[in-house]
Amino acid sequence: MSPLVLYHLVAVLLLAFGILGLTRRRTLVGMLISVELMLNGAGLSIAASSILTEADPVVGQIGTLFVMGLAAAEATILLAVIVVIYRRFGSTRTSDLNTLQE
Amino acid sequence: MIMTVLAYLAFALYFCLIIGGGLMAVFCSNLVRALVGLIATLLGVAGMYLLMQSPFLAFMQILIYVGAVCVIIFFALMMTAGGNENEDGTPIPLGKYARSFLAAIMPLSVLLPVIFLHPVDSADSPVATPLAELGRGLTEDFVLPFELISIILLIAMAGAVFLAWERRNK
Repeated sequence: MSPLVLYHLVAVLLLAFGILGLTRRRTLVGMLISVELMLNGAGLSIAASSILTEADPVVGQIGTLFVMGLAAAEATILLAVIVVIYRRFGSTRTSDLNTLQE
Repeated sequence: MIMTVLAYLAFALYFCLIIGGGLMAVFCSNLVRALVGLIATLLGVAGMYLLMQSPFLAFMQILIYVGAVCVIIFFALMMTAGGNENEDGTPIPLGKYARSFLAAIMPLSVLLPVIFLHPVDSADSPVATPLAELGRGLTEDFVLPFELISIILLIAMAGAVFLAWERRNK
């Protein structure tokens, strides 16, 4: 196996872990952790594809940096959203956030 | 030769760190432990960036993810007192388990054959990119996305403060 295949394998496993956690977790914070796993796998895949092939390595590294910046922004917004939801519902369990069902 | 073996050994170490951390992040019912697993995974990915000869990415990974994002998630844990997922003691129904495994396997069943059956030519040893080139790329070729992402970060920060603001005399 070439190094690129190995790195892509790791990235795909991170994606699978992220989806597994996102569908399995029952609180918003647990789902946030899983989203971070998936984003990290995306960054690893972008970096590996540009550094180890003939593509311009600068483009891939900058792309990975942008992914990290977006992850930071997304975590900030989600922190505020989770705090607001906790104030309004008194819990962050996904089974309690069912206003639309009632 | 010996460097190649050492590189594969380091890769195996980081791989174990990523897999172990990922399992912890997904399966621990205690969310603080899940967060520790996430940190282990992020450190393993930082090691992989080091193996790819891009120490700047590894440094940024540790600084942004471990230093900022994980601390933010920990704040979210503290502010919602949601340390334990399994508070009421009801186990996750088996059908839900099966469905979430199915959801995780679906993308694997598409992506794994693509990775293994159509491998792209890959360099055996990565070449380090000078940091100056990265900086030139950020300030010349990609200056618009660079500025846009700083605006996004500013808006996200202001929006987070606005959302979580609590009026004193309500």
